[in-house]
Amino acid sequence: MEEFLNKIKENFINTDVEFETINIKVDSSQWVETHQKLKEEFDLKFFSWLSAIDWDNEVSIGEAPKDSVSPSFEIITCLSDVSNNNLVTVSTTINKLEPKINSLVEIYAGANWHEREAFEMFGINFENHPNLEKLYLPDGYEGNPMLKSFELISREVKPWPGEVDVEGMPEESASDESVDG
Amino acid sequence: MVNTLDPQNLNNFSEASVSVEIETEDMTLNIGPQHPSTHGVLRLVAKVDGEKVHDVKPVLGYMHRGYEKLAEVRSYPQITTLVNRIDWVAGFSNEIPFIAGAERLMEIEVPERAKHIRLILTEMARISSHFVFNGAYALEVGALTPIFYAMEDRERVLDLIESVTGGRFHPNFNRIGGVKPAAGSGPTTKKDIQDLPAGFYRDTKVAMQKVIEAADQFQNLIGGNEVFKKRTKNVGILTAETAEAFGVSGPILRASGVKSDLRTQTDYLPYDQFEYDIPVGENGDCYDRWDVRVKEMVESAKIVLQAIDSIPSGPLQAKVPKVIKVPKGRTYVRAENPKGEMGYYIVSDGGLGPYRLKVRTASFSNISILPLLLEGALLPDLIAIMGSLDFVLGDVDR
Repeated sequence: MEEFLNKIKENFINTDVEFETINIKVDSSQWVETHQKLKEEFDLKFFSWLSAIDWDNEVSIGEAPKDSVSPSFEIITCLSDVSNNNLVTVSTTINKLEPKINSLVEIYAGANWHEREAFEMFGINFENHPNLEKLYLPDGYEGNPMLKSFELISREVKPWPGEVDVEGMPEESASDESVDG
Repeated sequence: MVNTLDPQNLNNFSEASVSVEIETEDMTLNIGPQHPSTHGVLRLVAKVDGEKVHDVKPVLGYMHRGYEKLAEVRSYPQITTLVNRIDWVAGFSNEIPFIAGAERLMEIEVPERAKHIRLILTEMARISSHFVFNGAYALEVGALTPIFYAMEDRERVLDLIESVTGGRFHPNFNRIGGVKPAAGSGPTTKKDIQDLPAGFYRDTKVAMQKVIEAADQFQNLIGGNEVFKKRTKNVGILTAETAEAFGVSGPILRASGVKSDLRTQTDYLPYDQFEYDIPVGENGDCYDRWDVRVKEMVESAKIVLQAIDSIPSGPLQAKVPKVIKVPKGRTYVRAENPKGEMGYYIVSDGGLGPYRLKVRTASFSNISILPLLLEGALLPDLIAIMGSLDFVLGDVDR
């Protein structure tokens, strides 16, 4: 693990370890080369997943980020080596106005479905993808449901009853902050 | 060209039609979404050329419930209820990586006893999932009997899970920092916390012994069956390289000869305290995939037997704040679930719920090799290959 981390740090400038997860940040133009390198030189042949995060200050559901962020899409992949515990996530940031990035299908065949999912859920275009079409959603579906601006209709119609769960119980005194084991 | 059947011309006609090569047309065959062999609602659109299948397109989304979106409007404790329903034949094990991820971000040290209880129930979930596979797979390739045995034995394990958690399929038993006090063993008050129900150790020993016997019985009943061997050996061969590139994990990957098991490689639960083997296949065909799972059941039973002997006493819950807020940060925690690698990528912004929760499920990646495995396969083998991947649609569509 230590040796692997050092080797990663030597090869990639923007690397950090957060809660035991190694993350490599790259520019979107380096996206394909980085994966190629990780697969060939670091033996990370197992394609675990690919997904995206919609960073936005205005959200229609959930909580907005506490610190202001610049609106963008962050694309993340997770690669690992099946014979040991080596695992990295690779992330890049792309422009929201023209969301496009090169497809990884040629390097990792498993990226195919994950990219289709990110395409329909976030509206990200994966260039050179063999068949970039909807995966889960029906053909006529409009919009990209995982965007923070996409409303959760059921919440609009009916307030969420689970909301009360997260408030303190009325009979508890304010000083009693923890549960005894 | 003779269009009408003239009795006087009949001889010529029949000669003519044998001499020309028969022109065949590909037929598009729609399998599912409501087909019993699809384990839910998977739809396959396949082109069939005689008995040969090619150009298979899986159509997903019939079970898509949008958990990743729903998680963004829920608090962490509420999400455990959701994730239970991802792979519903092994509900308990779905909670583990999520809870472990939240605990890692909150830097909570879980009491050993709670970890052991989690481990025991996770292995029981694995056993019950593999029982379903054993029964259903035999049924799919034409053997009616094994499912009755499998269901009976699985019930014994589900009873145990129910006695602890109160639920057979959706336990919702894990809490951030530990486990819920067990069901059915007295009143719950804050000071007087409950533990495992009376007789649990005794019943578990009996049930695990039965699991080992059942696995042996399956080896004889199914594995020793000539018809079963003919249907599964050298059918649907998957190489290790392809499996890895597609993110295929779990028993399917191990059947292809890769010794990979997240239980030994990562430390989400204290598996390092127990002795067990990791069964590995040789050919990566349907038979190996079946065989690996049967052997895994025995290993799981062995782990449970060791765990109940060595379970430490102590609290079930670490001290956690009443209102759970996860500090800012992100992490990916994965676990070896019955169907393969399941993981949660939690992106927290310090709020009551995650800013983004990516759910990595095993079956999704596992069935993405279907078009490849089914290319050129015989139509009857389609069911055998599909069944050997042991997927659950909740785990595919999320």
